[in-house]
Amino acid sequence: MAASATYEVKNEYGEVINTSTGLSNKKLLMWAFLGSDVMFFGSFIATFLVYRNRSLVGPYPADVLDIPITSVSTFVLLMSSLAMVLALSYIQQGRQKLGTFWIFSVVVLGAIFLLFQVYEFNHFVHLGLTPRTNLFGTTFFILTGLHGAHVTLGVLWLMFLGFGSLKGTLRADNAIDLELAGLYWHFVDIVWIVIFTVIYLISARDVAPPGSPPFVGH
Amino acid sequence: MANFFNKLLYHDGRGWWDLPRTQWQDPNPEMEGPFGDGIIPIKKAWDFLTAASYHHGTPLFYVVVGVILSIITIVEVWAFNWLFLGGLLIPLMLVLSLGKFVLVVGFFMHLKFDRKYYAWIFTACMVVGIALFVALLLLLEFGHQVQQ
Repeated sequence: MAASATYEVKNEYGEVINTSTGLSNKKLLMWAFLGSDVMFFGSFIATFLVYRNRSLVGPYPADVLDIPITSVSTFVLLMSSLAMVLALSYIQQGRQKLGTFWIFSVVVLGAIFLLFQVYEFNHFVHLGLTPRTNLFGTTFFILTGLHGAHVTLGVLWLMFLGFGSLKGTLRADNAIDLELAGLYWHFVDIVWIVIFTVIYLISARDVAPPGSPPFVGH
Repeated sequence: MANFFNKLLYHDGRGWWDLPRTQWQDPNPEMEGPFGDGIIPIKKAWDFLTAASYHHGTPLFYVVVGVILSIITIVEVWAFNWLFLGGLLIPLMLVLSLGKFVLVVGFFMHLKFDRKYYAWIFTACMVVGIALFVALLLLLEFGHQVQQ
């Protein structure tokens, strides 16, 4: 019988893990998941760009996108990433109260970002843009909606961890759980960095393509 | 001069283009700064902000990264609204966005400090993702010519 290829090592939190790679299995899994999510979002972003300027009817991006509002929500998400990394840093140092405060700050900032998204979707529907209106609507709502779903999941996950930190079940010695949630949260942030650039900044001035009627509103 | 260049772009004692020959389960080389240790004030600032640790930064370090991210976002919005760059707008936005991406992945996600293997996994998936992306764009651009 072949000898086991795994061995026991201590991870950076002092936790003994059985591994064949010398790395934390949990963290390896999370990075593999994030890698798959890169391809997932990459496909939707590529689809958005492939269908850019190909809508036959309005509203077009220039008719609906509001850069100042989205800039604020982008800033909120960036600051939530900062809050996340501070939360992890303080929990790793054993400064529980500060860590808990920053975890709940991430939850609040994430919820604010989601409210911005709800407002934006609602506003677009009032302007006549739905997922069924045109190619821009379909690709926009699918891409930003999937991102919003990721943010929602992250907010719920961090809420659980925040209460765990309050109760003392999340501590410096098992902060790997918070680190994994942090990796997920930062990933959601970098996806938004790309979406903000591609959809909002690069495509925001797109009007009706040649041959299509301009949008006159409802 | 060559010595100064190597120190400036220090990457495990070799040029910055040469990936450190650490084992894949090892972290990055100790105290490796973004601009190496060729410029003493930058090395001192880096050591101060990371508490001379190669495992992670200090809260102050993360705040500095957060401020830089905010400034880049403000520059993006400013350039979009007030600079009429024409064809230069898209490259500029992509470069600024890449800068934010690298800062978040490298420092907030700790890839700069963490084991190389995680960086390999993420980078490999990025390469596949970008290849898919380019293939889709090329397919749409030239696909009809193939059919004809």
